[in-house]
Amino acid sequence: MKGKRTYRSKMRILADMMRAIQGEGENGAGPTKILYSANLSHDRLTQYLDELVKKELIILTDSESNSRVYGLTEKGRSFLKEFVRVERISEAFGIEV
Amino acid sequence: MQEHIATLIRLDLLFESIGGIIALMVAYYATKAFNLTGQKRLSDLSTGFLVLAAALFSHVGGTWYFFVRFGIEGELSPELMRLIVVVTAAYHFLRIMAYILFVVSTRHSVRTKQPEMLMLLALPVLIDINLEILTIIILLVVVLQAFMNYAVVRSRYALYVLTGFSMFLLSHVFLILAADNVGTYLLSQAFQLLGFLAFLVMLYKAGRE
Repeated sequence: MKGKRTYRSKMRILADMMRAIQGEGENGAGPTKILYSANLSHDRLTQYLDELVKKELIILTDSESNSRVYGLTEKGRSFLKEFVRVERISEAFGIEV
Repeated sequence: MQEHIATLIRLDLLFESIGGIIALMVAYYATKAFNLTGQKRLSDLSTGFLVLAAALFSHVGGTWYFFVRFGIEGELSPELMRLIVVVTAAYHFLRIMAYILFVVSTRHSVRTKQPEMLMLLALPVLIDINLEILTIIILLVVVLQAFMNYAVVRSRYALYVLTGFSMFLLSHVFLILAADNVGTYLLSQAFQLLGFLAFLVMLYKAGRE
């Protein structure tokens, strides 16, 4: 099923981006890393990053330098944890989210 | 014997109450998932478990009302018998509705010589063989879908769901056989409870691991 997936809900895309950031640990992740990990176009990446920052799920940790770095907030961490649970339950019933 | 049957009925009520609570928990998490993702099938799944919980609680309520509260002994009056038939039909109808919702949401997933025995079978439920067969057919589809999902995703959570629905199926198979054996009726209730416990474990582990 995973190989056949053609459509990702917006919530899944946001979660994939946050997972990419979480995967980089305390250092956070840059836009390029998030873009590749979440498999997004540049325009969508910018749009969704802004949305995640507005919702206080991620934070721009290093805005001074040329390379921007994003980290997960506490709210983002608990959101991701909840999403993973929802994802597992949905998957268990054969429902894609 | 009478006391023995009363104990069985109380156990039956306990099993179904626990099952109803677990069904409500699954419905709660499915609703939560729906609110988060907007996936319509999660809403159908939630409705399915809500309807199942309603069926179980109405059955518990009906059984308690007719047989525990009144302690019916001997022959039932025609009025009471009619009421029991209506309650039983509603119970079967709700269960079938719930299973149809599971099919939709997971798609891709009397004869006895002993009067006491007659009382047990007439009371908590009046097993309707035709409706049970229909229920089993619908559940077969649900189990098949759950199996196909497990074959694809191979996750332990999908295995719990497959186990849960399989236990429900076994429960209904034993319910048909219960027309001949009182002990089988309790076995049917035990399988149903095991099914709900599989869902409970799935909910617990999905949030812990």
